[in-house]
Amino acid sequence: MTVIAIDEAICTGCQECTKICPNLAIEGFPHQPQKINENKCVMCGQCVQKCKSYVSIAEHGISAYQEVHAARGMPDTVTEPLFAAHNVTHIMEVKKALADPNSYTLVQSAPAVRAAIAEDFGAPFGEIAAGKLAAALRKLGFDKVFDTNYAADVTIMEEGSELIHRVKNNGVLPMFTSCCPAWIRYLEFNYPTLRKHLSTCKSPQQMGGALFKTYGAKILNVPAQKIYSVSIMPCTAKQFESSRPEMIDSGQRDVDVVLTTRELVWLIKDAGIDFLGLPEEKFDLPMGDYSGAAEIFGVTGGVMEAALRTGYELITGEKIPAIDISAVRGTEGFRTAEIAVGDLTIKVGIVSGLKNVKPVMELLAAGKLDLHFVEVMTCPVGCVTGGGQPKLIEETYFESAYKRRISATYNHDLELPIRKSHDNPSVQALYTDFLKAPLGSLSHKLLHTTYCGDKKTDHKSH
Amino acid sequence: MGNQFGLFVTTDTTKCSGCKACELACFQVHNVKKNKVGMTVGTITVPVTPKLYVTVLPQASMPIQCKHCENSPCKAVCKQSAIAKVGNQIIVDEAKCIGCKDCLVACPFGAITLLPFYSGGKQVTQPGSTDAKVAASKCDLCYTETDGPACVRVCPNKALSVNDVDQQRKSKNIAAAEALALINSGAPERRAL
Repeated sequence: MTVIAIDEAICTGCQECTKICPNLAIEGFPHQPQKINENKCVMCGQCVQKCKSYVSIAEHGISAYQEVHAARGMPDTVTEPLFAAHNVTHIMEVKKALADPNSYTLVQSAPAVRAAIAEDFGAPFGEIAAGKLAAALRKLGFDKVFDTNYAADVTIMEEGSELIHRVKNNGVLPMFTSCCPAWIRYLEFNYPTLRKHLSTCKSPQQMGGALFKTYGAKILNVPAQKIYSVSIMPCTAKQFESSRPEMIDSGQRDVDVVLTTRELVWLIKDAGIDFLGLPEEKFDLPMGDYSGAAEIFGVTGGVMEAALRTGYELITGEKIPAIDISAVRGTEGFRTAEIAVGDLTIKVGIVSGLKNVKPVMELLAAGKLDLHFVEVMTCPVGCVTGGGQPKLIEETYFESAYKRRISATYNHDLELPIRKSHDNPSVQALYTDFLKAPLGSLSHKLLHTTYCGDKKTDHKSH
Repeated sequence: MGNQFGLFVTTDTTKCSGCKACELACFQVHNVKKNKVGMTVGTITVPVTPKLYVTVLPQASMPIQCKHCENSPCKAVCKQSAIAKVGNQIIVDEAKCIGCKDCLVACPFGAITLLPFYSGGKQVTQPGSTDAKVAASKCDLCYTETDGPACVRVCPNKALSVNDVDQQRKSKNIAAAEALALINSGAPERRAL
């Protein structure tokens, strides 16, 4: 499945994308069209964000735009420029499902989506649009507007418990986060023997997907086969993740299709919705209920901080003295911290930007990485700067956009009444009524996985 | 004292990668007010119409843009007075342009082309018709921008710069004179030769 492509007729061969590709997957000579090596591409989409080679009237002629537009399967209402590096869109599949009265459509949106989507409607950087996002999705006709943030809270319950289990039982350490599909792809390509260091937790998207078609189907009283599960992500690699052979634990494909933030913008514009004029609405309960800890998954260090907020209280049985854990915040490519958790000192590391993971992996391979828990995010400062986010016209905007998307995310965390995943009442209900306990047998079946690399075999049969 | 000659942007071809960031930024700054272009690609609803044109050769790449010629052949041939000298720069008035292409013929560098012309997010049409209006599009050195030409500002490889040839000539003159003065000052015996 092609996720990221470079249109050779448009590429000028500037190789600006080559310079930033974290796995050297873009190949070609200067001033000639570049090609993506799909055996190396981690699908992070940073090339899509970078590319400025657009379909030009002056260079390609007046009809070229329509031809490329049609070939890419974009709605006629979208008239923004088209660039050589792009992600393959699935917008028409979603439009079809929304129009199909026999399909029950569910949608989830990642935390980073609400931190940037308004930019594509002309809003300034750093405006959280959670309420408008929920309203827009409802207006588009989704039967239920759930949230990846709910699943992120579940992820913390599972991943926090897994870390504690590994620390207390001499498990494989350090444990690495497994939320970022581009990072997992990178690990599979370059360090397959170190896969045991990955948390067995699925990403929030895939936990959500597996829960919507099981627990969700049960509480909604809708057969899982009828559910069409859509995910809105800041990420281009999530479409690949959703199509992985491991991701069918609900009995069918857990997440049917993924749209990027930009593709959702197209869908909203196509429906003629005035996004900035929408009233604030809530996500649907119970699977749209979320804590501040889930929201900060969108920024580098956020998964770590969310895990520590919960891990601290699960281990010590006491309230964490300071909810904001500034030691794990920041934007440096690799940073470490030591966090006192009762009698334990948890040593953590955070990698931001996939190029920065290589030295860390070399340390790990040499047995010199003295840490318990490492968070890895591929994109520059986490998912808020993902390959599927609104694309900035000028690179000079990057710094201020990144900063404001980060501060907006932390501000949203601050304003939420619940800021720790284990305090989310809807997540508590999920465990009481359905999963029973973190790392329990149902959790193991639905929420955990072992990545099988390039083998198309069913991992669970081994 | 102003510049004696019109300023223009030149490219260090050893640095230019041909990425077109300059074209996109050029379009952006000229369409913030006219077509509500914001900070992201999603805010663009009209075709990208730049005023400089990246040209990629096998051995090099560079944007070609107006040199703001002192004896501007484009201005000389424009029968509609759509091209004028503002300060020392050569500026096109899109509204006056009839698309006759005389300036395209006259420009030795191909720095001008005719592009569709949008205002308020809508295509400007020819008077009394639904046919698209086109207008000459060429570098205006971002003369209304306070922080200089957008292309220079955004180039990721810092390949572009504003060229003030008069100032450069004077600097070169001074450097040459200083070198000669140095040779002469410390070597009376050589002066005797």
